[in-house]
Amino acid sequence: MNRSSKIFNSKVAGYSSLITFAVLLIAWIAGFSSRLFAVIRFESIIHEFDPWFNYRATAYMVEHGWYKFLNWFDERAWYPLGRIVGGTVYPGLMITSGSIHYLLHILNIPVHIRDICVFLAPVFSGLTSISTYLLTKELWSPGAGLFAASFIAIVPGYISRSVAGSYDNEGIAIFALQFTYFLWVRSVKTGSVFWSAGAALSYFYMVSAWGGYVFIINLIPLHVFVLLIMGRYSPRLLTSYSTFFILGLLFSMQIPFVGFQPIRTSEHMAAMGVFVLLMAVAVLRHLQSVLSRNEFRKLFIVGGLLAAILVFVAVVVLTVLGVVAPWSGRFYSLWDTGYAKIHIPIIASVSEHQPTTWFSFFFDLHILVCAFPVGLWYCIKQVNDERVFVVLYAISAVYFAGVMVRLMLTLTPVVCMLAGVAFSGLLDVFLQEDASKRVASTTSSLPETEDQEESLEKKSFYDKAGKLKHRTKHDTTHESGISSNLKSIVILAVLMILMMFAVHCTWVTSNAYSSPSIVLAFHNSQDGSRNILDDFREAYYWLSQNTADDARIMSWWDYGYQIAGMANRTTLVDNNTWNNSHIALVGKAMSSTEEKSYEIMTSLDVDYVLVIFGGVIGYSGDDINKFLWMVRIAEGEHPKDIKESDFFTDRGEFRVDAEGAPALLNCLMYKLSYYRFGDLKLDYRGPSGYDRTRNAVIGNKDFDLTYLEEAYTTEHWLVRIYRVKKPFEFNRPSLKAKDRLIPPTNFVSRKNLKRRKGFIRNRPTVIKGKRTLK
Amino acid sequence: MKKMELSRIIYCVALTYLCFSAANAEIINKNVERVLDLSSQLVKTTYKITAEETTGKPIKEYVFIVTEPNLSYISAKDGLNKKVEVQKIQEGGASNVFSYKLTFSSPSSKQSIVIETVSTKNILPHPSEIKQNDKQLVKFVGKLYLYSKYSTSTQKTNVILSSSNILSHTQVKPFSVSSNKVFFGPYENIGAQSEDELVLHYENQTPFLTVNTLERTIEVSHWGNIAVKEDIQLTHSGAKLKGSFSRYDFQKDGRSGQSAVKSYKTYLPASANGVYYRDTNGNISTSNMNLMRDFVDLDLRPRFPLFGGWKTQYTLGYNVPSYEYLYSSGNKYMLKMHLIDHIHDNMLIDEAVVNIILPEGSTNIELITPYSVKRHQNDLMYTYLDTVGRPVISFSKQNLVENHISDFTLKYSFSKVSLLQEPLLVIGFIYIIFLFTIVFLRLDLSITSHSHKD
Amino acid sequence: MEAMQRYVSPVNPAVFPHLASVLLIIGTFFTAWFFVFVVSRKNTKESTLIKELLISLCAAIFLGFGIVFLLLTVGIYV
Repeated sequence: MNRSSKIFNSKVAGYSSLITFAVLLIAWIAGFSSRLFAVIRFESIIHEFDPWFNYRATAYMVEHGWYKFLNWFDERAWYPLGRIVGGTVYPGLMITSGSIHYLLHILNIPVHIRDICVFLAPVFSGLTSISTYLLTKELWSPGAGLFAASFIAIVPGYISRSVAGSYDNEGIAIFALQFTYFLWVRSVKTGSVFWSAGAALSYFYMVSAWGGYVFIINLIPLHVFVLLIMGRYSPRLLTSYSTFFILGLLFSMQIPFVGFQPIRTSEHMAAMGVFVLLMAVAVLRHLQSVLSRNEFRKLFIVGGLLAAILVFVAVVVLTVLGVVAPWSGRFYSLWDTGYAKIHIPIIASVSEHQPTTWFSFFFDLHILVCAFPVGLWYCIKQVNDERVFVVLYAISAVYFAGVMVRLMLTLTPVVCMLAGVAFSGLLDVFLQEDASKRVASTTSSLPETEDQEESLEKKSFYDKAGKLKHRTKHDTTHESGISSNLKSIVILAVLMILMMFAVHCTWVTSNAYSSPSIVLAFHNSQDGSRNILDDFREAYYWLSQNTADDARIMSWWDYGYQIAGMANRTTLVDNNTWNNSHIALVGKAMSSTEEKSYEIMTSLDVDYVLVIFGGVIGYSGDDINKFLWMVRIAEGEHPKDIKESDFFTDRGEFRVDAEGAPALLNCLMYKLSYYRFGDLKLDYRGPSGYDRTRNAVIGNKDFDLTYLEEAYTTEHWLVRIYRVKKPFEFNRPSLKAKDRLIPPTNFVSRKNLKRRKGFIRNRPTVIKGKRTLK
Repeated sequence: MKKMELSRIIYCVALTYLCFSAANAEIINKNVERVLDLSSQLVKTTYKITAEETTGKPIKEYVFIVTEPNLSYISAKDGLNKKVEVQKIQEGGASNVFSYKLTFSSPSSKQSIVIETVSTKNILPHPSEIKQNDKQLVKFVGKLYLYSKYSTSTQKTNVILSSSNILSHTQVKPFSVSSNKVFFGPYENIGAQSEDELVLHYENQTPFLTVNTLERTIEVSHWGNIAVKEDIQLTHSGAKLKGSFSRYDFQKDGRSGQSAVKSYKTYLPASANGVYYRDTNGNISTSNMNLMRDFVDLDLRPRFPLFGGWKTQYTLGYNVPSYEYLYSSGNKYMLKMHLIDHIHDNMLIDEAVVNIILPEGSTNIELITPYSVKRHQNDLMYTYLDTVGRPVISFSKQNLVENHISDFTLKYSFSKVSLLQEPLLVIGFIYIIFLFTIVFLRLDLSITSHSHKD
Repeated sequence: MEAMQRYVSPVNPAVFPHLASVLLIIGTFFTAWFFVFVVSRKNTKESTLIKELLISLCAAIFLGFGIVFLLLTVGIYV
């Protein structure tokens, strides 16, 4: 190229990188701001349940330092067992926000750790969109990358897990996931040890952040495996995979929670198998170049069979011997959706572990779910090494998303990428008119793939400004066939769709995913004012201020993290559901009668019992509605004492009114929820004791508590806290002093004047110094 | 020689005797009127004493004795409504009795003095534990007569109670009761230092709130703002709640939990803006703010009603523009602000710590307080864009009541140029980033070989 | 006391938000200019150091003041 065109190119490069930069920045800002609904409507607060533990752990780490955190034995959880926190968490999240906190404080920026935790996920969403841009750019084109980056910044499927305040592993893990994939694709493309080592490092970060790292360590081997099957073996693949696998394996074992799992559990075996296979293929390739054809064929068949048998036997033997652990229950439930329901009720009881409905695909992804197959088809049509990867990514993620609502999250990035490809491809066709002339003159000499990228980079100025123009020059044949009218109609339609997508995303984010669930808000239908129900914090704050520091609080496991985080009190069970039998014990206490559960509660040293009761305000997520899960889990461990069928009426209904099953009407949970509720009239005309959540008048209205007493109930009765009485406090009918005299009766004492002295029959006569005589 | 000595001793003794008699015997309290306000959790007493020097000498000094424990505040005025200097006399004894020396600016043989005292924690709940639906009864034990160094000719005591429900009171005649007032006296010719108990047992449903600790932080910014933050720990120090709490009774029955504190009012300065009310779990969503003419009336509702013995903790903060409290002339600045501010009516603060954060680079700091406080070590604080740290002046005081709301003065020097330090710091930081970019891009060209290829 | 006057901020707090946005916009403009300039310069050998330094200085000054006023606007009184 001559000098002038060079200058022109560099000018264009300058502007195009400015545009890229600007689009990514705007995507970041848009993604960040659309996650702030909850902060603006409510306040900067940690949401839901798990984030409270993460926040508490982070605060502990910030306060006590990293080593103390690693060795942290939390005696405030799982009383009386305790929990070794350092070894049972993915510390990536805490380290990330802890180091941000540390950095800011070095710079004298006194930001509270809570605010860092609240805003971590929105900030990382920007990094996610950048890494999505990079990955899509590797797979297709920078234009598609910008589309993908903009999509992922605002797509609800990802926002659902990363709104401000939702301080959870997923918030940073999606970034780590995308970045690992980007580095991996880069390393496959270049065959460079540098990039694959980078991928391993990024994988290390992912392992430290989220249990979903298993997805990476299975998807990348799958990619390698499929490439091998497709006959796309290359030394680049060998270099990148072996570097990645070995480094990644070593790195992942550095996380205490993961430990030796990568070499001992079935989930990680695929990676090892593929590594062995890749080595075998490499050896064969080498032999192929050395040996003659016949010799090679024999060797191939014999060697292949032997190797396959050997590997299979080894895996089976190791599994049987217990060296390699079989698949864990959570993974079984990925293959067999009914598995959890039968075997692990505790997993099934979590709503986000339910299978996904078709509705939620559209709800979370909107138009992308339609565009995504198009992108997939583009990738399959013009397949190369890295597009194989994205195809596999897409297919596996679709499957997992279908199994579990929660795994929608892993589907979202790939959908964004492929939809980006689709939109970019679409606009390529319909927007090339004015662009093609200039492109042809500047890029003719370059080889195919680079050419495409180069020109896109140069031209992205034209496409990206309005976010619409994208064209590559490879299918110039279409140009003549499309009239300009049609072009503008299509472009307008695409623009409309994208706008609707943006509107939908904002709407979903605002309405579905921006409730902190700690503070509830409802709109008053009469005057339109907004009322805030702050009962949870009211109760937790009451606990923190007015109970003994070492008080032990029994509640269903859902609230364990919140109690520990907000009330700073000891809990029996929490959302880290590692000990099923302990949870079952709490479930048993809740579903037994007051007397029986008192025994359980004293054996567990319970001081307070906390229940959530929504009957006054019509809050549906309360403990009575979760009660069947408690019964089921308790039944799993104590089948003799608790039977689920006892809690149903004869007709198999679960109801709290007078027709409800007696076991239900007399169990502790029922009594604690409805204590004195029978007297309460919610409105003037209605009956007293009307439960708004279940739309029924409660069946057991008039009862008293013997072993417990109401300690606190929040303003809207949402949280009720009871104190467990000490053995000396209860059941002694209290008599007023004047009643303590025994009333005079007709009884005439035998001790009349003559026989005043009472005596004991057969009383041994005691003489000092002598044995008693019988 | 010996005679001489003896006579000297006699002379000395006589002189001493004379001195004593001059100080003691000749002042009498002609008339004493005492008003005891027991309607809140504080004992507010007003003494009107007419003292007379029987020999007609002008009275320069008067010794006033306080027998109530936990005296928080004392002030005295003379007949012309002029402030009288009150000085505590150090006494070796361990008793609760403290003497104060009043020094008059205009001595005369007849002085009328008005003394106001406020003491805390002398009205105690009795019984000390009640059920939710019970009324809160309290007991006050004090002195029936003015405990004085001097003899008193006539004295009267008016007691104001919070309600007309009086269970018992001291029955020393003459006395009379009308609604929520009890009148004792007049009692004639009570000798010096005579003690007799005054006991009142009555219903008092006013909030018994104790601020256990108040940490008040005042941060001065020369960009035109003063930020005030108060960390407050509160306890309901009345009769403790016995037995269970019942939300049903509390909601349905107006008589239930009358002594519980559902909300209280805090008054902020009129120019206060950006008010926040929160605790460690975040914003407390239940509060109302009314803007009044010369103050801001803040209706604070704790997260939960405070029953006897219950505690809560919160942070209240607001901003005020600097022109309200900060004065300047050249490089000299003077901050004049309330040392403590209103928290709730009839408040009682066990311990208050005040921290004043001045802008970075303030020097020659001089603090003048309206009453004696305990100074702490000056400290440094690092916050946004600080390099050498902001000076923090810190002091504390115990047992405070509303009468202690008055201004402190803090003088310091600050050079106006230092105001530019923060922007320059940011500019420097950004510029360094740009320089790095420039250098990095140049280095990049020189080390990577393949970027020249095309 | 008598000699002293009430202290008012050198900049009226009411204009903080406007000042912050204007300064930041100008600063961003200079930053963008600098960015394009530096990236475009890549292949040319001519010395543009002085120009780069000047543009970045302008950007830094505007951004710096903009950030300070932004902090003041949001209630962080530095």
